[in-house]
Amino acid sequence: MKKVLLGFALTLITVFSVVAQSRTVTGRVTSTDEPDGVPGVNVQVKGSTVGAITDLDGTYSVNVPDGSTALVFSFVGYLTQEVAIGNRTVVDVLLAPDVKTLSEVVVVGYGTQERREVTGSVTSIDNAAIENLVTPSFESQLAGRAPGVQITTPSGILGARPIIRIRGVNSLSGGANPLIVIDGVPLVDSDRSSVNASNPLANINPADIESFEVLKDGSATAIFGSRAANGVILITTKRGSTGKAQVSYNVSMGVNEEVNRFQVLNGDQFVTIANEKVTNAGGTGNAVQSGVNTNWQDFIFRNGFAQQHNLSIRGGSEATKYFFSIGFTDQESAIIANDLKRYSFRANIDHDISRRVRIGATTAYSYTEINGLNNGANSLSGAVYNATRNLPNVPIFDSENTAFDGFNVQPDGSTTGFAPNLVGPDNNIPNVAFALTNNIYRNRVHRINGATFAELDIVEGLTARSQIGIDLTLNDDFQSLDPRHGDGRGSNGFVFMQMAPVFRWNWTNTLNYQKIVAEDHTFNVTLGTEYQYTNFYNFSAQGTDFSDRFYIQRNLISGSYNNQFSGGGFSDIGFDSYFGRVNYSYRGKYLATVTARNDGMSQLPADNRRGWFFGGSVGWRISDENFFNSSVISDMKIRTSYAEVGNTEILDGQAFPYAGGFGPVLGGAGAGIGYSNVANNALGWERSAKFNIGLDMTVGQVTLMLDYFTNDVTDLVLNAPTASSLGVPGNSISQNIGSLINRGFELRALAKVMERGNFIWNTDFNFSFITNEVTNLISPITGTYNRTEEGRPMAELYGFTWMGVNAANGNPLYLRNDDVIQYNLQQGALGWRTYDANNPGDVSTAAAGGPTQDFLGNTLPKWYGGWTNNFSYNNFDLEIFLRYSGGNFIMNESYRGLLGQGFSNNHVDILNRWTESGQTTDIPRLYSGQDQNMWQTSASNSRFVEKGDFVRVQNIVLGYRLPSQWLSSTFNGAISTARFFAQVQNPFIFTGYTGLDPELNQFQGQLSFGVDWNVAPIIRTWSLGLNVGF
Amino acid sequence: MKMKISTKIKAGLTGFAFMWASSCDVIDTLPATIIPDAEAFATAARIESIVFGVYEAAQRGFFNGSSVNGRGYPFGAATVQQGDMRGEDMYNDQLFYEITYTGTYNPNTANNNNMWSSLYRVINRANITLEGLEPALSEGVLTQDQRNRYRGEMLFMRALSHHEVLIHFARPYTDDPGSMGIPYRIFPINDVPLVTEGEAVGRTTVGEDYAQLIADLDEAEQLLPEGGGMARANKGAAIGLKIRVKQHMGDWQGVLTEFAKVTGYAVTANPAAPFRGTSTDNIFSFINSAESNGTVNGALPAMYGNPADGGRGLVKVSPLIWRSNFWHPEDTRRELLTSRNAAGIYSAKYIDPITRADPTPILRYSELVLTAAEANARLGNLDVAVTLLNSVRDRALPASVPSFTAAGLGGQEGVLTAIFNEKRIEFLGEGRRWPDIHRLSGEGRMDGVPAKASSRQIGNLDFYTTDRVIPTDHAIAYSSNAFIWPIPLEEILTNATAPIPQNPGY
Repeated sequence: MKKVLLGFALTLITVFSVVAQSRTVTGRVTSTDEPDGVPGVNVQVKGSTVGAITDLDGTYSVNVPDGSTALVFSFVGYLTQEVAIGNRTVVDVLLAPDVKTLSEVVVVGYGTQERREVTGSVTSIDNAAIENLVTPSFESQLAGRAPGVQITTPSGILGARPIIRIRGVNSLSGGANPLIVIDGVPLVDSDRSSVNASNPLANINPADIESFEVLKDGSATAIFGSRAANGVILITTKRGSTGKAQVSYNVSMGVNEEVNRFQVLNGDQFVTIANEKVTNAGGTGNAVQSGVNTNWQDFIFRNGFAQQHNLSIRGGSEATKYFFSIGFTDQESAIIANDLKRYSFRANIDHDISRRVRIGATTAYSYTEINGLNNGANSLSGAVYNATRNLPNVPIFDSENTAFDGFNVQPDGSTTGFAPNLVGPDNNIPNVAFALTNNIYRNRVHRINGATFAELDIVEGLTARSQIGIDLTLNDDFQSLDPRHGDGRGSNGFVFMQMAPVFRWNWTNTLNYQKIVAEDHTFNVTLGTEYQYTNFYNFSAQGTDFSDRFYIQRNLISGSYNNQFSGGGFSDIGFDSYFGRVNYSYRGKYLATVTARNDGMSQLPADNRRGWFFGGSVGWRISDENFFNSSVISDMKIRTSYAEVGNTEILDGQAFPYAGGFGPVLGGAGAGIGYSNVANNALGWERSAKFNIGLDMTVGQVTLMLDYFTNDVTDLVLNAPTASSLGVPGNSISQNIGSLINRGFELRALAKVMERGNFIWNTDFNFSFITNEVTNLISPITGTYNRTEEGRPMAELYGFTWMGVNAANGNPLYLRNDDVIQYNLQQGALGWRTYDANNPGDVSTAAAGGPTQDFLGNTLPKWYGGWTNNFSYNNFDLEIFLRYSGGNFIMNESYRGLLGQGFSNNHVDILNRWTESGQTTDIPRLYSGQDQNMWQTSASNSRFVEKGDFVRVQNIVLGYRLPSQWLSSTFNGAISTARFFAQVQNPFIFTGYTGLDPELNQFQGQLSFGVDWNVAPIIRTWSLGLNVGF
Repeated sequence: MKMKISTKIKAGLTGFAFMWASSCDVIDTLPATIIPDAEAFATAARIESIVFGVYEAAQRGFFNGSSVNGRGYPFGAATVQQGDMRGEDMYNDQLFYEITYTGTYNPNTANNNNMWSSLYRVINRANITLEGLEPALSEGVLTQDQRNRYRGEMLFMRALSHHEVLIHFARPYTDDPGSMGIPYRIFPINDVPLVTEGEAVGRTTVGEDYAQLIADLDEAEQLLPEGGGMARANKGAAIGLKIRVKQHMGDWQGVLTEFAKVTGYAVTANPAAPFRGTSTDNIFSFINSAESNGTVNGALPAMYGNPADGGRGLVKVSPLIWRSNFWHPEDTRRELLTSRNAAGIYSAKYIDPITRADPTPILRYSELVLTAAEANARLGNLDVAVTLLNSVRDRALPASVPSFTAAGLGGQEGVLTAIFNEKRIEFLGEGRRWPDIHRLSGEGRMDGVPAKASSRQIGNLDFYTTDRVIPTDHAIAYSSNAFIWPIPLEEILTNATAPIPQNPGY
């Protein structure tokens, strides 16, 4: 209905002229939404000013001058369509909806709002650009598509969850992920697997999604109150529409490959280096030249096959509309043993019982199976760790070693077969090929997600709505480790199984009243209540010491193991809220929104459970003022908002952070209870005050959106560290201590750059700049790599300052306070010595101590964004999507580890090691076992800290739409649309970072961040696909 | 038809209004996994569980913030491993213990940090229990006997833990009792306001700390019953630990006074017996089980065990002691308590790498015997000393090898050296080497940590069985700052009101 009104408005202002000439073409314009005819469509003769507007029933009549070839049909909310006239006098057209402009109506939480009336900061993302991409989960593809939204995929493991941050990191030890709401039901965003990374968002079929709205500022998010501290992503799934059934089938198939590999020594180089380490330390070498040159990475990486299929049917009558879909995907990662399969089903139904009563249901079921692997950064069987460390001068296979299925393994199974070397690899690492072939890490998730709602128009303008939604995750894990070799050897076989469900229900009731007073004053009032309960529970069983490995392959089999273990856990979290919102608009020129809510949360002590949160915003459409008179600027709106919200995601979902007492502990002498938490009955809400000021403007063909924001988080609920000698459980107490602030600037510009003939070029660019500062903290929080300290951004790299290699003797140089010191790598005289630049060879004076630590760089990107360019020419379409980020530093721990001084493989750069006096290099003299002193492995090291700036070509998609006339003549109308496409995801990156990829990150939390440490390289995907409409 | 629908609407509307009006309570949930402070000391059975919880903290405390992946910190395995790796008699073959073995710890490194944290965690649990026992007694929840036993056990645990902190983080008593000690904690921290009070407890002197150790152990001795097995502290354990503490103080007369009180224990004829179940030699051990142990990344049988038997073999017997002239080639402990493969020789004191249920020995009667021998030797009672020494040594030697005599050993110095060497052999792989290096360096008898076999260079059995040159390295002079561990950086950073001073040189 809104579209119709808009159409009439356009009719009034559109200037057209009719030139009496030649012949008359008539016809009717319809769409799936409006099969009886779309009124107000602009019909223009191509290459002329001649045109017409369709009537209420969608019919038109236009006089076509001689020599005209085509008619162009355009209307707000639909894709512009060009139709050849030929010799016809009747041209009927079916318009396809343009989802992008449909987001003129914005979903804002418990309702919708017209884009022009929105005073908060909301970015809409159309799923059309995403749904054909080969991807394990939708959110990784949102990266770079909206300002203020930063999404990184930190590894190439399928099932690993991307890191999503909206307007920076807004909590220190709570969850920092946004709230994700699908069709009005807040999703449980919890990885329940103990054996694999199992991204809970991977259970959702990306093809079922219609659009995303990202709510960023306080006004937009305030209605979600305390769950919105980290922003909100609203997902709307596809729904039915009136008209005959439309069937569409989408398929894509492709290949996944790793973007990059580590450059490691070959067997011959290894022997030289390994022996030099030992002889420099006064020993005799253990590596023996074998002529074998193995790159273990050849085994762990592969070209993985990926396919996606989606079939959907949508349609309906006036009263009943439906959308059904089934989806299947099977993706193999670029790293062996890792794959993801998902089968999904969705049914969305809307029914009007009468003109005043509507009901509807959304139901989605999916089954996701992920096969994973051990890729622990320093696990002995960790695929990347092991494949880059294992001996390159021994083969992977040994066909005569039948006890180990033809893998090269020591006869006692203790480590990789190391002959002819005299000793085995460091830490007795196993043959990773055996482990990857025999060990099973399987995670299966059944996910049921849906809601039923009823809506009743009580009186004109007053609508009541009640919705009950559920989200059930049935997570089932299976892990099996072979008794012969690798991780299962120490237990003589190991099987672990777990059932770890999580169940949530959510009941939302709203009362909405819309009223226009005295024509100019529009009110929209929403009142509501919401109750939500989430229950996490799990139980597990485990067996070790198996009678026969035959029994470890599929499931735990009773009686097959000697040691039996079981476990379990339970927690529940409740949340309720009473809320209201008033939107006011005066002629669309002066806009205001006020929200208030009272939230309650079970995670806080009884006296502090409830909190009030208020928000408000105002907007001013300057372009509607009489004094505003610009031919260049067609639309201009200023908006500002302020709101305070709480944070329910405190302490990563700890159910009772305030409760003190004794938890169950199982000691060797028996089950007991151990003091496990210090009570804090003063624990209260973590609050964030969000301020935003923005400007929306259309200048000619360019639409600009600018925002400046601050997000001031106070009373941070922190596991506040306590001095370890106090012996407080976990060395921390949950307290409201600390505050932080994020400030930033966002820009989005959309433009039609060029339209020349059949060639159209659209561009969409966004940029975000953000700074983070911890403004108050009880004491610095230090981890191995990072430190968070008052007055600085969170999780900065902290560690030792490298000063190079002493050319005189090959000793590594570090800073101790302001002095350079050297670690003397001479047998019998090891130790820290002073360094005199004028006499660098002098190692006679012991240093007062070892090197000292300092801040080495921030880990949070300061700027990021994306740039989409869409080109279309006739039936071809091309999208090139770039993404960029920077201003951050990365600790390249992978590289440090590969310069290790043990009996294991190294990065090729180690060939530059210091060997003779006067040699200038950045690799010290080799010395067996001196990793800690040489590389200061206990913290970050400036030697390995690099800039993380990059520009990535994220996607290139080329499509070809088969001509509809050819389709209708060839298939007799059976196929209405068909588009072939070829795409490459993640083809190139431009970066100065020397590691595999600047987005790789071992850590996903807030306090440890920015460390590239033996993570599986991210994936590049080449694929071909087809979209068919029936 | 129309009528019907409107009835339905009315019914729906009524139902809707009803739902609207009713609210539901979802936010008043109760914990399922934590027994509140106020209810913890409510029954005798629960108090017994709390006591078990203190043993658990000592046997399988946390490592890097997680107790699930506990590596046997502090006493379940780590004190043994760190005590061995700081000395020269066991050899580090891998990265795992390299920092300790090579003496390259700093205020950030994991071992010193986790040892500190997990020991104080035991101490706080013990102090919380001590506090809770008194009201339980006065309210009649506990009998006097029950309360006495629990109190004695907690005092023992508190002393055991503090002593371990002292020998790693403070200079020896034998050097200067006035040197900087450690925070000795005697009150619990189980409420937010107590944090500041706890922070105010600074580093007292080593002498004051030892005095408190003796006070705790004297009281424990009075309270504890005799007997009851090695799994829980008893009177023998309290006296035994006191003997060890007095040895570190150089209080030789005190050692002998205490030793005279020890009854009911005996050196076993078979040197392997203390490691193959309970024996008359075992005074106190921490019990490990299949369900609760230091895991494959910490348990002694996993880390010390011969790979041929399913262990990981990260730590071996050092070829230095294996080839030393003081370890008799016919000593049965070479066969009974070691195991070998092509890469070297391993301790076989812990033999269950699959299930990892070997107990971790903390106090054995043999240690008290050798300590008493040392005390006698120090006091000039050389014959008594040698008799005690022989009672440990002779059981591992064939009859053809003569017993030691004071004269044969060349007088007091020779007797003392023989006692020290015997302890190195008898307690090989039990973590007792470092405490002796600590106290003997303090009195000037040793100069810090002797040279060790070079880390990761002993990859072949021929280092043990031939005269192949053993590369050595990693000595730490007593004067070096590295002789004692740095206080964890975290400790100093997170003490908001009164951070304790770091050890000099770090």
